Amino acid sequence: MPELPPAVRGFGVTFKTMFKKVVTEQYPEQADRFPPKPRFHGRHQLNRWPDGLEKCVGCELCAWACPADAILVEGADNTDTERFSPGERYGRVYQINYLRCIFCGLCIEACPTRALTMTNVYELADDNRADLIFEKSELLAPLLPGMIAPPHSMVPGTTEKDYYAGQVSGSVPEQEPDGDAAIWFEKQGYKA
Amino acid sequence: MTLAPHQTSVQPVDTVTVSVDGIEVRVPKGMLIIRVAELMGIEIPRFCDHPLLDPVAACRMCLIEIDGQGQPQPACAQTVTDGMVIKTQRTSELAKEAQEGVMEFLLLNHPLDCPVCDKGGECPLQNQAMTVGRPEARFDEKRRTFPKPINVSAQILLDRERCVSCARCTRFADQIAGDPMLELLERGAQQQVGIGPDAPFDSYYSGNTIQICPVGALTSSLYRFRSRPFDLVSTPTACEHCASGCALRTDVRRGVITRRLAWDDPEVNEDWNCDKGRFAFLYTADGRVETPLVREDGRLRVASWPEALDTAAHGLAAARGRAGVLTGGRLTREDAYAYAKFARLALGTNDIDFRNRVSGDEEAQFLASMVAGRRLGPTYSDLDHAPLVLLAGLETEDESPIIFLRLRKAVRSHGLRVQAISAVRTRSLDKLQASWWACQPGNEAWALRQIIDGPQGADALAGLRQPGAVILIGERLAGVPGALSAAAALADATGAKLGWVPRRAGERGALDAGALPGLLPGGRQVTDEGARAQVAAVWGVRSDVLPSRIGRSSSQVIAAIRSDAARADADSEPAVQALLVAGLDVEDSPEAGAFRQALDEVPFLVAVSTHHNEVTERADVVFPSAVVAEKAGGFTDWEGRVRSFGPAIRESSSVADGRILAMVADVMEVPFGTGDVASLRAELDSLTPSTVTRAAAPQVASSAAPTPESGYALLATWRLLLDRGRLQEGEPHLAATARPTEAVMSRATANSLGVANAATVTLSTARGSVTLPLAIGDVADGAVWAPLNSEGCALLGIGATYGSVVRVTGGAR
Amino acid sequence: MNPLTEQTRASMAEIIHRYPHKRSAIMPILHLAQSVQDEITPEGIAMVAEVLDLTTAEVNAVATFYTMYKRSPVGKHHIGICTNTLCALLGGDAVYDAVSERLGAGHNQTDVDGTFWLERIECQAACTHAPVMTVDWEFMDCQTPASAVEVIDRLARGEMVVSTRGPAIRDFQATEHTLAFPDDGLAGEGGEADAIMLAGLTVANQRGMSAPPATAQGA
Repeated sequence: MPELPPAVRGFGVTFKTMFKKVVTEQYPEQADRFPPKPRFHGRHQLNRWPDGLEKCVGCELCAWACPADAILVEGADNTDTERFSPGERYGRVYQINYLRCIFCGLCIEACPTRALTMTNVYELADDNRADLIFEKSELLAPLLPGMIAPPHSMVPGTTEKDYYAGQVSGSVPEQEPDGDAAIWFEKQGYKA
Repeated sequence: MTLAPHQTSVQPVDTVTVSVDGIEVRVPKGMLIIRVAELMGIEIPRFCDHPLLDPVAACRMCLIEIDGQGQPQPACAQTVTDGMVIKTQRTSELAKEAQEGVMEFLLLNHPLDCPVCDKGGECPLQNQAMTVGRPEARFDEKRRTFPKPINVSAQILLDRERCVSCARCTRFADQIAGDPMLELLERGAQQQVGIGPDAPFDSYYSGNTIQICPVGALTSSLYRFRSRPFDLVSTPTACEHCASGCALRTDVRRGVITRRLAWDDPEVNEDWNCDKGRFAFLYTADGRVETPLVREDGRLRVASWPEALDTAAHGLAAARGRAGVLTGGRLTREDAYAYAKFARLALGTNDIDFRNRVSGDEEAQFLASMVAGRRLGPTYSDLDHAPLVLLAGLETEDESPIIFLRLRKAVRSHGLRVQAISAVRTRSLDKLQASWWACQPGNEAWALRQIIDGPQGADALAGLRQPGAVILIGERLAGVPGALSAAAALADATGAKLGWVPRRAGERGALDAGALPGLLPGGRQVTDEGARAQVAAVWGVRSDVLPSRIGRSSSQVIAAIRSDAARADADSEPAVQALLVAGLDVEDSPEAGAFRQALDEVPFLVAVSTHHNEVTERADVVFPSAVVAEKAGGFTDWEGRVRSFGPAIRESSSVADGRILAMVADVMEVPFGTGDVASLRAELDSLTPSTVTRAAAPQVASSAAPTPESGYALLATWRLLLDRGRLQEGEPHLAATARPTEAVMSRATANSLGVANAATVTLSTARGSVTLPLAIGDVADGAVWAPLNSEGCALLGIGATYGSVVRVTGGAR
Repeated sequence: MNPLTEQTRASMAEIIHRYPHKRSAIMPILHLAQSVQDEITPEGIAMVAEVLDLTTAEVNAVATFYTMYKRSPVGKHHIGICTNTLCALLGGDAVYDAVSERLGAGHNQTDVDGTFWLERIECQAACTHAPVMTVDWEFMDCQTPASAVEVIDRLARGEMVVSTRGPAIRDFQATEHTLAFPDDGLAGEGGEADAIMLAGLTVANQRGMSAPPATAQGA
């Protein structure tokens, strides 16, 4: 069989490819056609207990584990009038610097309370550096039905151990911001 | 009790030969096995063992095998004997298994607090559980729990369930501090550290228990949850609070000090420090002068550095020869030296004085003759070996807490005798088993003379003649005429070493740096032409540049300003045209009222200050300077030992006093140098060792204290360790552990004043009064004790100081 | 509760004189405080600390370590029932249960009107007469549930009860006073060791047994 001229032969690849399945993703127009895999390492989330209290105890183990030094945590005392998590300590400051984060997930493994997990959200682009340092307010999981925004008391009659043992399934009316927490809001200048 | 003189030569020691893990070593007889292993680099796990505490073998973690003894033995409580064959966990299965078992026991009730525990990350229990513990726990019962945490004092918090009952804290409180207010209570599984009912652990040394706790059972209110160990950048520093000279470690997180720990320095503070040194560092945050300020139309406004430097330089240059410099006792030695140099070169004056406290010419002469520029000594080590220590005008626990710890150690270890000439038999004297010579305030000179030639002094005289005896005198003897002369004479007559113990950290350094009217750096006298030539050579100037007349002390400068103002004669030249004041508090001055007026009246006032205070608000130019944590420098402790440190907060942009003065001098076109710490230190060090002609010791005759009239008493007073001092601001937990503010007098005095049944007494002077709860105690008759500067008791504010006569009236019960 | 008086303080001082070191007197002095107040109170701890030159923490440590010092009022009588090995084997638990039911109190509790304090006690070295009960630390040997309850009933009625070993039962406070001042002249009350206690010795004597000589190693 006589050889085709090289110029024509080159088009062979083109023709073959024309009949193959297209792998190009139309991003962002059709982004939701190709969701990431369930275990994809995306943006972090700070989880809550079923009643809305935060799971983070401010232990900084995530910051310690982080190979990129992307996490900053400062702990503080819960008080009777200002409670953010069950137990004594909560994370007052929580920042993740997504300019540094390499999404390795070591922080997730380090977290002793499963407060920190990763979502599948990968759209983390911005036009300035400051906005890529996520604060606690941005990282906290949204309030689901049955949750009340902290600060508020623990479910009456429970201890932190009950939270860890899964004994708390949601908030109760006593935790609504008209008791202890209302005092806090008042102190902060909010109207309940 | 026999008092063996201190052996200075090295004595041969008996040794024994032992084998540890198959390695034969010869070690001194009587050593503990755990120390021998340490020397060999073999680490035996331990919790209760601490080299400065008596062995107790409470935790059982250090079990090892000794050939011929069936059961494992605690290495921390057994001394070596000749031929002993020791096997640690490295070579003995028995020891290894025993240690694993003990660790399993210790962890039975230990909570899984590590993520929220302050000790997590630097915890011996965590570490040793990883190295010698079994990986799997077999215990699946319910753990014993306690409500947590509880306060054992306002500052110290206790998580009982974390405790491994090692008894380090209780042994420290009992053996080292002499405050056995912390004990192991209950028994068995309920055993817990605790206090007496309503008797908090208010020891001046309580913070050390946190540091030696091998688990996170003891934490401080101040540091709780503030950070994790791996956040911290640690810097070795020296303590700025007193002249004890503690080595500290300052931990900083992102430019903020989170805690301070005692750093091990066997020559000085060993492993300990006091609570003031540990917890009082928050003053660095608030009320700071942040920018240079210049007065314009009667108001201070923010100014640029060049503008402030210009203004200061012109004002000071105009006052050359007629300017005073007051530095206070808180400066580092390098900064004090910068002021001493600046006064002589830029201001052409010897009117410089660091003593913002009761002082006098006798003291200046005493310091010039006996202290300034001298090498080390007496030292802590001298206290360790002394047969007798005489204290006069010095309350060690309040005024130099580490001296107290050393004395107590010597009392416990070899029966040191402590004798105290004091108006009050204080708790510290009891803890030192000291013999107390009741002495009315103001009679110390007489009492010291009594030892030399009085009939009752023979015993003490003989004691002080023993080799190694030490006399320690406090700075408040400056207010007792003849006392320093008598102390010098007593040291001369007996050969005892004489130690002068100032209160502030910077006093000894300022003295050696020449911040005194009659002294140049290194103890050189300004009147000595040779000395001036030596200094001028180092400073690179002709020696006739240096003023040769003895300058004016701080009170003389203040008096001169007052009389300038009183003349109200605008034409004549004022004797003091300008004043340069460093970081001092006006209210520390015994003549605060006059000082304030002088600051108002002086034509030109430059303040270099870390914080806004009464000086800065009156100043014409204010420069912001760095606090100790923000700069490098050094303090000279009471021994004469230099304690240099680097900046703990490296992020700081604050400027040290020395550098500020150099910038001012630069504008004044005075050859001063760069004023950085390294060059100042190098100059000062080159000036320190010298063959100087010393002033003679003062020869002031002693006089008796006045006999107070009926209704009056002599005031004995000093600053409590924890009081309303400026550097303790911002730490309410620490302040809550302070000793009570009360007036103390003897039963006889109370009876003769007719206040024996009163609940409170009022101490009054012509300038005001304070009312305090009355307590009956061991105080010299005719005297009343009250704290000098505590909350509700600012005695300097009413013009009362040590030895003053105050009117005492009783309040209703 | 009776307050501690100057008389108490004087008695404490008297006890201190028995010992070369002040602090050695802490245990009898605590018993004395307990004899006055029926318990160890913070007030008692403070006074003991004061007379002994100790801190309240040190006194607290001793007072909480030893179970004979109580931190709530004991009442008129202290009832102790041994449930250690031998007494348990011979019915100590049954005795305890019966008395507990009679008093309506559990371990380290008092009955409703606060007259009796019930406690499971450790071995009293009276195994020869197990199960053993103590009333104000006097022995009631060889008890049964019925006999023990009867003792309680009689004490409750205010009748005179005599220990099986002789001495008449007084009350808890009197016993505590004796522990502070053992020399109360009552030491002779009660009998000698009986045959059951001496059974072992008798057998040994009969068979000519003696203790083995001490070895050099143990010396």
